[in-house]
Amino acid sequence: MTRVTDDIIIRAVARVIMPFIQIYALYVIMHGHHSPGGGFQGGVILGASFILYLITHGLEDAKKRMSELKAGLFSSFGLLIYSGIGLLCLIMGSNYLDYGRLSTLLKVIPAQARSLGILGVEIGVGIAVMAVMFSIFFDISTGGVVPEDEQELETGDE
Amino acid sequence: MSNFFLYLGMGLFTLVFLCLYRGVFGPGVLNRIAAISAIGTKTLVILLIMGFIYHRVDMFVDISMVYALLNFIGTIAAAKYLENGGEI
Repeated sequence: MTRVTDDIIIRAVARVIMPFIQIYALYVIMHGHHSPGGGFQGGVILGASFILYLITHGLEDAKKRMSELKAGLFSSFGLLIYSGIGLLCLIMGSNYLDYGRLSTLLKVIPAQARSLGILGVEIGVGIAVMAVMFSIFFDISTGGVVPEDEQELETGDE
Repeated sequence: MSNFFLYLGMGLFTLVFLCLYRGVFGPGVLNRIAAISAIGTKTLVILLIMGFIYHRVDMFVDISMVYALLNFIGTIAAAKYLENGGEI
């Protein structure tokens, strides 16, 4: 189980550096079609910021920021954005994830519709990857048993 | 000028192998963690030098910043793992 570190330097550095990591992750996601990066890479950086918080501030504080339930909801929500945009293209009468046809819906030219469509898909992928990264780390660091479940198991045995 | 960066990169590339020797055979785990951290930092500089060689520094700065960040988090996790014997 992840415990709280008692080193003030590590905690302070992590607290200061976390917003900058998240801003950088958003930059990587939003700027993904002009520079290296994209949804997956930005999501990994966003997940790394939460993992840094979990390592330095312990399980209890991290669960207030991002619980297991929230991580599951976020991963499903990201997948919903991705597949929703794909299905919207299918409904509009073109292929799956062929954003050109979204131009009638967004009232822009097809080239701009493609740019906006890939941006939406990348945001969805970023959210899903962030939540799944955190969820995997959460499960590994707790060994799959969160403290509340442990107490329930103990009382159940009695 | 491009040759200068090329030779600089090759020199750092050679130094990575010396760190790798310390990482593989080094006595104790602390030496290995320090070696892996040093390899990460050298890789960061090599990425920037590659950016200078290809005249696309703006692209490679992004990658090297991510590398530095993940290296930092990895070192903290490894150090914390060692501090209390098997618990992060």
